[in-house]
Amino acid sequence: MAQVVTVTSGKGGVGKTTSSAAFSTGLAQRGKKVVVIDFDVGLRNLDLIMGVERRVVFDIVNVIQGEARLNQALIRDKRVDTLSILPASQTRDKDALNRDGVAKIIEELSKDFDYIICDSPAGIEKGALLALYFADQAIVVTNPEVSSVRDSDRILGVIQSKSKRAEDNREPVREHLLVTRYDPIRVAKGEMLKLEDVQEILAVPLLGVIPESEAVLKASNAGNPVILDTETSAAQAYADAVSRFLGEEKPMRFIEAEKKGIFSRIFGGRAA
Amino acid sequence: MSAAPQTRLEPFRLRGANFNLLVLRLLDPRAEVVVPAIGDQFRRAPGMLRHAPVVIGLDDLTARPEEVDFTAIVSGLRDLAILPIGTTGGTAEMRAAAQGAGLAALRNAGHDTAPPPPPAEAAAPVAAASAATAPVTTVPGEPAPPPAGHQRTTMVVDQPVRAGQRIWAQGADLIVTGTVNPGAEVIADGHIHVYGALRGRAIAGGTDNMQARVFALQFDPELVSIAGYYAVRDGYGDAPMGRACQVRLVGETMRFDKIG
Repeated sequence: MAQVVTVTSGKGGVGKTTSSAAFSTGLAQRGKKVVVIDFDVGLRNLDLIMGVERRVVFDIVNVIQGEARLNQALIRDKRVDTLSILPASQTRDKDALNRDGVAKIIEELSKDFDYIICDSPAGIEKGALLALYFADQAIVVTNPEVSSVRDSDRILGVIQSKSKRAEDNREPVREHLLVTRYDPIRVAKGEMLKLEDVQEILAVPLLGVIPESEAVLKASNAGNPVILDTETSAAQAYADAVSRFLGEEKPMRFIEAEKKGIFSRIFGGRAA
Repeated sequence: MSAAPQTRLEPFRLRGANFNLLVLRLLDPRAEVVVPAIGDQFRRAPGMLRHAPVVIGLDDLTARPEEVDFTAIVSGLRDLAILPIGTTGGTAEMRAAAQGAGLAALRNAGHDTAPPPPPAEAAAPVAAASAATAPVTTVPGEPAPPPAGHQRTTMVVDQPVRAGQRIWAQGADLIVTGTVNPGAEVIADGHIHVYGALRGRAIAGGTDNMQARVFALQFDPELVSIAGYYAVRDGYGDAPMGRACQVRLVGETMRFDKIG
């Protein structure tokens, strides 16, 4: 059985789609069979960030409405061959999705894939609820900023109460925290929330910290998941997060401001 | 074991004790209806009733004893992490049927007058015995009996209360072992204890219990209210922000005192 992993946040613009693209590419690079589904019907972006927008013929709504077969809508990634993308529709809205239709798609994908990554839309309405309903695991993407933390807290409560696992009284959805756009310099100046403050409020195991990086925007515009840009700190941080997701131990990187003295590095590293 | 050792030979002691328990009054005899309904209800307040002992109230059941599958109800409740321990009220046959599923028949000491004990000669010795030595289990009925101040039950929540969640301890005190996050709301008709950080709203004492208090180990709430009197951040005065604090009403003034 495939694991359904929902990437969600409540708030918009925090990096759900960037993280979905990077994370699913990273999992596929490790040889896992991965499909990433764009649930943001009406505001589809995942195909752009994955660089497959010119290859979209059918989308998830076509499949749900029986206008296309699932295999026709799936787009095979050209860089990592165990990765596929199921795009959202640009011309419809979230009402075109329904639970039975999504259930069927997930069931069918479960036969062929190890991981089904669901890229959730922002908000806590229908699209987001559908994206998290079938989740076995959830990656909650949060910026070190109060409104993002509040919204992530809210979505964690929704996951606890509205997911299928909660409804069936099964083991709860396994939650992971992914802090993105983390800027240690601004944290040091007190302009951004500290990592431990975010963790303290959300109380969810930390999967990774992605540093603020110019490479992310560049990669998005180029349609190239940032994790493939292996020289960059963001790519390395995503790769670490993928490793941790697969059970490896990796120390957190990129969470300290650079150009620190050797002593504060040695003595300040742990406590911070 | 630093205390002076006393020679104790007996392996146990029997003592009477009073307990406040929640009563789950069955209105429908069918396990397949009752259990999902309870599951649904408590999913909205995660943590509520988790591992809580409950007594099953039989007074409202009109079904015949053989129509009620107590075994299914008990196992259904246990699956929801609710622990049924006994029954109260109902007919002797009904209680006997429930005993078959391991549910002890409890006598309601809260208000003896309410359920007329049907077979008088059977009930009387039990009452006499319990007055003397046996443990007495006090079960507050649904409309709380008059001296409610000392008879409140307590709801314990073991998970963090997150933004957008609202937990209401109806007719009860509320204990939250974790944090109450910004945007969350905890409401109790009695006291509220938060053993983590209180960052959301805490509303104690319902609308009229001016004796209720709010306790928090890390006091940083968006709003506190007792019996309808409330304060927001600007009104906390010299409260020990971020530290252990209790809030109570003195007259009509809210007082914030450092504790611990």
